[in-house]
Amino acid sequence: MRKRIVIMLSLTLAASIFTGCQSNTQSGAQSNGQSTNQTNSESNSSANNQSKSEGKLVVAARGGSHVAAMEAVKAEFEQAHHAKIEIIGLEAADLKQKISLDAKNKNGAYDLIMADDPWMPEFSEAGIFANLSELGVEADADFEESSLALGKHPYGTGDLYALPFSGNVQLFFYNKQLLDSYSEEVPQSWEEVLEIANKVHAEGGLTGYVIRGQQGNPIVSDFLPIFWAYGGQVFDENWSAQVDSEAGRQALDTYSKLLAVGANYETTDIVSSVSEGRAAMALGWPSWFITGETASAEYAPIPSKATADGQAASTGMIGNWMMGVTANSQNQELAADFLSFITSSETQKKMVEHGGVPTRKSVYLDSELAAKYKHFPVQLEALQNSVARPRTAKWSRVEEALGVELSAAIAGTKSIEAALADANEAINQIMQ
Amino acid sequence: MQSKRRFQWAMLTPVILLLIGLTVFPVVYTISNSFTDYYYLASDGKKFIGLDNYVKVVQDEVFRQAVWNTVKFMLLAVSLETALGLAIAVLIDSLKKGAKFLRVSLLIPSLLPPVTVALIWQMMLSNHNGIINHMLAWFGAGPFNFLMDIHIAFNAILFIDIWQWTPFAFLLLYAGLQAVPRSQYEAAKVDGAGKLRIFTHITLPNIMPTLLLVILLRTIDTFRLFDKVNILTGGGPANSTTTITQYIYRHGVYNLQIGYGAAASIIMVALVLVFSVIYIKRSLGGNEHEMRR
Amino acid sequence: MNRLKATPKYVGLIAVVIWALFPVYWMLVIATQRDVFSEVSILPRAITLEHVISIFTKENYILPLINSFTVTVASLLIVLVFGLSCAYVLGRRTFRVGFKKTLLIWILLVRVLPPITFALPLYILMNDAGLLNTKIPIILAHILVNLPLVIWFMMAFFYSVPEEIEESARIDGASEFAIYSKVVLPLVLPGIAAITILSFMASWNEYLYSVIFIQSPGQFTIPLKLATLNSEQELTEWGKVASGGFISMIPVLLTAIFMQKHLMNGLTAGAVKE
Repeated sequence: MRKRIVIMLSLTLAASIFTGCQSNTQSGAQSNGQSTNQTNSESNSSANNQSKSEGKLVVAARGGSHVAAMEAVKAEFEQAHHAKIEIIGLEAADLKQKISLDAKNKNGAYDLIMADDPWMPEFSEAGIFANLSELGVEADADFEESSLALGKHPYGTGDLYALPFSGNVQLFFYNKQLLDSYSEEVPQSWEEVLEIANKVHAEGGLTGYVIRGQQGNPIVSDFLPIFWAYGGQVFDENWSAQVDSEAGRQALDTYSKLLAVGANYETTDIVSSVSEGRAAMALGWPSWFITGETASAEYAPIPSKATADGQAASTGMIGNWMMGVTANSQNQELAADFLSFITSSETQKKMVEHGGVPTRKSVYLDSELAAKYKHFPVQLEALQNSVARPRTAKWSRVEEALGVELSAAIAGTKSIEAALADANEAINQIMQ
Repeated sequence: MQSKRRFQWAMLTPVILLLIGLTVFPVVYTISNSFTDYYYLASDGKKFIGLDNYVKVVQDEVFRQAVWNTVKFMLLAVSLETALGLAIAVLIDSLKKGAKFLRVSLLIPSLLPPVTVALIWQMMLSNHNGIINHMLAWFGAGPFNFLMDIHIAFNAILFIDIWQWTPFAFLLLYAGLQAVPRSQYEAAKVDGAGKLRIFTHITLPNIMPTLLLVILLRTIDTFRLFDKVNILTGGGPANSTTTITQYIYRHGVYNLQIGYGAAASIIMVALVLVFSVIYIKRSLGGNEHEMRR
Repeated sequence: MNRLKATPKYVGLIAVVIWALFPVYWMLVIATQRDVFSEVSILPRAITLEHVISIFTKENYILPLINSFTVTVASLLIVLVFGLSCAYVLGRRTFRVGFKKTLLIWILLVRVLPPITFALPLYILMNDAGLLNTKIPIILAHILVNLPLVIWFMMAFFYSVPEEIEESARIDGASEFAIYSKVVLPLVLPGIAAITILSFMASWNEYLYSVIFIQSPGQFTIPLKLATLNSEQELTEWGKVASGGFISMIPVLLTAIFMQKHLMNGLTAGAVKE
């Protein structure tokens, strides 16, 4: 009996030594293969630069269509520069966390990073990005202006730290067949949206409107356009919170009523339910729908008015994904080259068919592409009329505080008034 | 004697060094951070702000809800897992054959990576595509939005935890049952005791130490619940599934408010110490008892 | 009559087995179906390996597998070497360590305290030490997870070795270390086998430290890769996630099947010891 154990143990040990060796050869191979960082750790910084100049970049990206699009076009750059591009796709919150945690690392794990536009002030202030002008990357006028402004710090006027990679802008999604069957037109105000949602729900027993109400970024992005349509603003000019206002209460009331005749889903279910006609309307981002060939939803600009005769506000929330070079990258020049390549007009045109969302006017106006992608005009128009979320380095925390209260309000654990009052207080405390 | 002392130290030193480096250092660092406004990405240094963080944490209703959720989860999970585990153990103990096969196949959920468990259930609980909603539909019920409905999400996570850890409770209790001397059962039967009486007078007292062990181990583990929550709900909806670890993670790691997160950690440690005193006393006591034997 | 009485018992048993194993089965079904959602059925239809193949070709799943093995084995070796020697000194009556009680409480506290308290400060310290791009931080974290487990578990085993055996070796002139390594260790091998399996699983399953410590894609471990695979896509590719999940279970399932005895010994040691 004991003998068997001895044999088993020595086998385990032998196996572990074997794997140990394996991993060594593995990390050796990684210098031109998998991970740059493995190499970094095992060599001093000069050898480090050397191994980098063989050309190896790690891109931290938002997963999904963005990664697919980059993967599809990266080969050309890899060949031209004898470089290897490794792209890691992460969910938004994970991406932000990983970039931030790596920010103080001397040998950064990432050479290029994607950042959701509201993170830009925080990241720029924290010095996470390298200054692009110093790396010889210039902002050219072909980028849609509202997108380009996001990459500058301070917003719109300062130095350039990131280029717009994906021109996502929030749109209004609807199932045309379903609306047609109730002989409804695309709604122009939130009052109409609610009316149609009620009708779809009452007469067909279907989901009138889908909210994306997970606590955190989703519910805030989903709610803000409605809030804006009612004339609300998160902050006044002195950075004092304005959530607890008449506009806030009305918007949240509408939002709750929409949920009452609708549903609260995650992305996957929003796309499938609207495409398959189980639900009538929702807000969403173009990149979700472009990928699904079968997705049959139509898009339109987000209703900009509270009531049919109300005043119109800008409601198309800009949600561009920016890309910049990290300040702690060991290979900034090559990274800058890749950034120029991936945001160039030709590359963007190629990426479109893999789900890329352009940020350049020349791509949107390209006659060939515009013929193929009927939504391009809507999207460019939405981009041009888009609104950016408040530019503050504390936005993530503001968003979180607001998300908690909105979530409580729609779940019914708090009244609308109490939730908004608490949100206002929490935001003011964060902003001090 | 001298060489024996040297030998002892040589044997203990690596562990002591590891423990100092990996625990004492971080704990001291956490305590000192908890009195500052340390924000990881800040360009300027950290400032001493006294007890501000602690005051804010205690006043934060989300934190209080996280504590309540954690305690509620702990109480429900531990009692249900123990009770179910005991029931299954008794059931299998009464079998004449097949116990060995059943023992290992039932145990599998407890062995799986928690991340994998979370993913399995995420697929099963999904709205339109999940098998559970499909099954419910055959009976004309649903569909339920398990992980996003405020009335269900907490229970869904509780259910998953019960699924994963009842087998563990079962295994320990089953081992305990097997160790009960059969002669005691025989004697009771001769005396004409009923089944229930045998259970309460012979089985329970005999497996009481095991029962306590199960309760303690599960208490420690459920109190730090994180993986499932982080993957399945992220603490929502409306904080109904936020646990203390998840709360600290949100503030300390995701928002990088290190000082604030540190204060919350220290409060959590204090809470853990309260109930772990029993555990530590018992473990040390048990050990001394053995040594006296 | 008897058979009739037993029926509810077997119905109960079958229900329990289905309850425990159905989710695992269902993951396998999703992993091997081309499109599991077009028409849901409990029994699998046309089986395909395309998802399994694609996580290796497209997601490079082999790398996290290697990483997980490396981290698990490296931390396990260190924990065993140091943990066993510490447990030996603490578990033997013949040694008198002045601060034994302090050390014991300390070790227990490490087991009891929530890992989130150590994780973040450790990360910052590792960063200051410039270790972040190596596997050292995550290996150390796994050591922290398993060290108390090993020490506490093995102390009882060392204690149960009869002292006379050591004494006679001592009379034969063996050094203290020889007594430990040549005489005592072989006697506690069953305990070592059991705790090795338990620690292996704890390491293999570990998520919290990985999600905080690991940024570089070259370092990802299996649980982290899985969680990423699940959330990275805007529209989750469940076939891939399920195949990745199923692969993550394989080592665990193999252990459960082929090393059942040691596994059971390990898990129930605490319960039977009483």
